[in-house]
Amino acid sequence: MRNAIKGLIGAAGVAAIGVSGAAKSDDTFTIGLLQDFTAVYTFVTDEYHHGQMDYIELVNQEGGVEGHTIETIVRDTGNEPQRGIEAYSRARDQGAVLVDFLSTPVSRAMVNRVLDDEIVMITALHGRGDASHGTTFPYVFPMMATYWSQAMVLADYIDREQGGLEGKRIAHVYIDSPFGREPVPVLEELAERKGFEFETFAYPSPGTEQSATWSDVRRFQPDHVLIWGAGGGQPVSVREAIRAGLDPADILSVVWMAETDANTIGVDHATGVKRFEAVATGTDYPIIERIQEEVIDQGLGAGSEDEVGTTYYNIGVATMAVAVEGARLALEEFGGPLTGEKLRDGLRMIEEFDAEGMMPPITITEEDHQGGGFGRVSQWNGEAWEPITDWFAAHQDIVWEEIEKDAAEFREDN
Amino acid sequence: MDIAYFIELLINGALTGMMYGLAALGIVLIYKSSGVPNLAQGAMVMLGAYFAWIAAAQWGIPLPFAIALAVVGMFLFGLFTERFLLRRMVGQPIIMIVMLTLGLEILLRGLGPGLFGAAPKSLDIGIGLAPIIIGDVFINRSYLVGAIVGVIMIGLALLFFRTRLGTKLRAVSDDHVASWSVGISVERAIAISWGLAGASAVAAGVMWGSVQGIDWTLSLLLFPAVAVVILGGLDSIYGVLVAGLIVGILGSVIPGYVDPIVGGGTRDVVTSLIILLTIIFRPHGIFGREDIERV
Repeated sequence: MRNAIKGLIGAAGVAAIGVSGAAKSDDTFTIGLLQDFTAVYTFVTDEYHHGQMDYIELVNQEGGVEGHTIETIVRDTGNEPQRGIEAYSRARDQGAVLVDFLSTPVSRAMVNRVLDDEIVMITALHGRGDASHGTTFPYVFPMMATYWSQAMVLADYIDREQGGLEGKRIAHVYIDSPFGREPVPVLEELAERKGFEFETFAYPSPGTEQSATWSDVRRFQPDHVLIWGAGGGQPVSVREAIRAGLDPADILSVVWMAETDANTIGVDHATGVKRFEAVATGTDYPIIERIQEEVIDQGLGAGSEDEVGTTYYNIGVATMAVAVEGARLALEEFGGPLTGEKLRDGLRMIEEFDAEGMMPPITITEEDHQGGGFGRVSQWNGEAWEPITDWFAAHQDIVWEEIEKDAAEFREDN
Repeated sequence: MDIAYFIELLINGALTGMMYGLAALGIVLIYKSSGVPNLAQGAMVMLGAYFAWIAAAQWGIPLPFAIALAVVGMFLFGLFTERFLLRRMVGQPIIMIVMLTLGLEILLRGLGPGLFGAAPKSLDIGIGLAPIIIGDVFINRSYLVGAIVGVIMIGLALLFFRTRLGTKLRAVSDDHVASWSVGISVERAIAISWGLAGASAVAAGVMWGSVQGIDWTLSLLLFPAVAVVILGGLDSIYGVLVAGLIVGILGSVIPGYVDPIVGGGTRDVVTSLIILLTIIFRPHGIFGREDIERV
């Protein structure tokens, strides 16, 4: 929220100098960070947004993108599609070429609009998974592993590193929402192929009380548990899983598991818990070091210094690093001013981009806006999340069956 | 039927219900003293937890003192709420006062994360994760401690209403004008009830916050707390105890058997049905006082 307030002040500044589509100069381009600072995604937004703003500041400090300065428009949507539409319309009128809502309901509501307006919408780690289908959703870029790909990476890790999947019992414990249910079809398909028993267990939102669900999970006697929630529900899931007698090493989480969750669980109790990791955590990466030096140490940071290098901060940095790389390629190829169409094509030119080692090397094409579905598994070691695998993607054939099916439904309905 | 499974659902449900009771107690304390149904109690629970976290994690005060400080802070918050918001509403229709508390709930829900940061905060109160195992039944240690705290708080509230001050508060609840006429300071009595509700919010916030982390979602405890007070009776402390158990047990046992069949989501349905059916068939709740007004 403090970041949001700073951002909103910045946004007011942008408005005050009269940024608009018509008045926009050739040496700037505008990004709309229209996010949920006050409702459901508050567990991630502060750090994520902070990372985005600090990275943008770094790029501007270093001379911009091919000489183009990045301007930002920041607004709170409160996770409400109606407010998202309002914020989007204003950002579009102010010349935004890229928007990021960090909210599945809002970004889903916005798909048809961005397709019509030819404005790039990034949906890293949220939004609809079938938006990976680049030819159906030309202006929507998940750019990181979808929940389907995350489930496949975690299952493949069990298969390769935890004694195989065959004959095992895998429980999927999830928040009762479309997000929680999303990986179920791909896991069911994998269960058929690999011969493991797969069972799903829902708990009610927001997940603050899950005891009945876990009593049921315990009856199933799973070998491994995939937990699929976010925010306050995640530490509750882990605590309940440990209470149910599971070894923390057999608890594997979706990407939404961070340092704060480990603290809430208890740093010692959480030791051994695993999670999907889309972007590296920590400060030992050239981009983060430069942010520290050129942004934070200069007093230009958008939020608390403690957040630099945390899980969600680094994810925010990585999203902007990919966006800036797309913009750089577009400006190099087509010249300014940057438009949504040029940016789309620039993003589709990204090859083996890893944000200087912070993320798996991603390649975005006209067909694949997911970037390959890569990630890795990391484990809480009592102090930090430590990677225990290399970056890899798994069972993308199953993932793409799902993407194709849902994208075809979208095409039919539109 | 798997009897151990049933017993586990029953016991953990009962314990959870007593923890809901902690949040519900504040609503009853205020209603019993001032006749105001306080819909800001969920956000007060959240605020109480934030206060304890600031004292413990930010200022480094040992936890028991941090909690005590949070109780003082929330008591003062309750007093200020009465002084600057509720007192201005004297003579206004009750619906406006209810709306005021709802507005306060929404304000605090935004203000808490705004002031203290939106990321969840951790509050370790030293309860281990290992369950208490009796036969095949696993009992949640955190909820057991929470339930004990709940019972103690309810006991203290019952004792309080037997004191001289508590009797005055009950008199104020019955009739403001009559209370004034016998020299009771109605404003002071109502302020104290808000202060006490603030203090009980700390207990709920700390117990729930230690389990799930501290963030705005703590304010969502308002929903089960409202179910508890409607079922138990808005002015009944005994009602908090009994209804807490019922809401907790039904909210655990029914989903435990129905969720696997329908795919989840029945607990909120159960809670909603408790509210609806109580209002339809017994509007004053199990132990609530039924006022008969002759026109």
